[in-house]
Amino acid sequence: MSAAHFDELIHAPTRLAIVSLLAASEWADFKFIRDTVGLSDSALSKQLTTLEETGYVEIRKGFVGKRPRTTARLTRAGRAAFELHVAALQEMVARSGATILPR
Amino acid sequence: MSEQMSPGEAAQALDEVQRRQQQVIDLVAIPAWYWWAVGGLIVVLGIGVDIRTPAAIGITVPVFVVGLLAVNGWVIGRAYRHAQVRNELLDGPGVLSILGFVAVIVGGTIGLAFTLRAAGVHYPATWACLAGGLVMGLGGPVLNRWLRRVMLGNRAGSGR
Repeated sequence: MSAAHFDELIHAPTRLAIVSLLAASEWADFKFIRDTVGLSDSALSKQLTTLEETGYVEIRKGFVGKRPRTTARLTRAGRAAFELHVAALQEMVARSGATILPR
Repeated sequence: MSEQMSPGEAAQALDEVQRRQQQVIDLVAIPAWYWWAVGGLIVVLGIGVDIRTPAAIGITVPVFVVGLLAVNGWVIGRAYRHAQVRNELLDGPGVLSILGFVAVIVGGTIGLAFTLRAAGVHYPATWACLAGGLVMGLGGPVLNRWLRRVMLGNRAGSGR
């Protein structure tokens, strides 16, 4: 298996933002993702459903006290796909001779 | 699509990947007041140990325990409301730093208290806890910055 693989599904700008947030999380709250990425409830639901159907994201619905709470997390397959995608991006940059400095 | 993507676009995407991960990492930033609050609570405990009357113990120990639960609950609750940062970002050096910091505070405070008592200093536990509290207040933010740096270095796309 290649150490780098460009993933079209992840690379869509909104999904890249969502998956990147989830990549640094064990799980993330729906509202946190929505507010951070700047999406409406329905737009985020749509993107998460797409990622869930591909097996990249797992969505959990539960309650905190009496309040409903939805959280999302990357599956193992999702995390692997994200890491391969990042590696593919790094390869593209490296081939051009440029470097990416960490923020 | 990847064939048509320019290195500049790939770099932009990587920048976005890093920026989004940083937003999650910044959720666990501990405010500076937390370290001073815990340092103050240590001093309260030290006062109780030195005075050692039932009334002093009865006041200082509950203040210490309840205060510690309250400030920790606030910090943890604030972070967990949004997301839980991935454990693996902290890595071995991060975990060791936390354990080392706690060991220095606890070990140093107890060691200093016994040394001061042996030297005949009045209120040794209070003085030692004051020193421990100062190290906590001054060192906590330094630890915080270090842990943030470790986590940022371990995020995907950081070049490691």
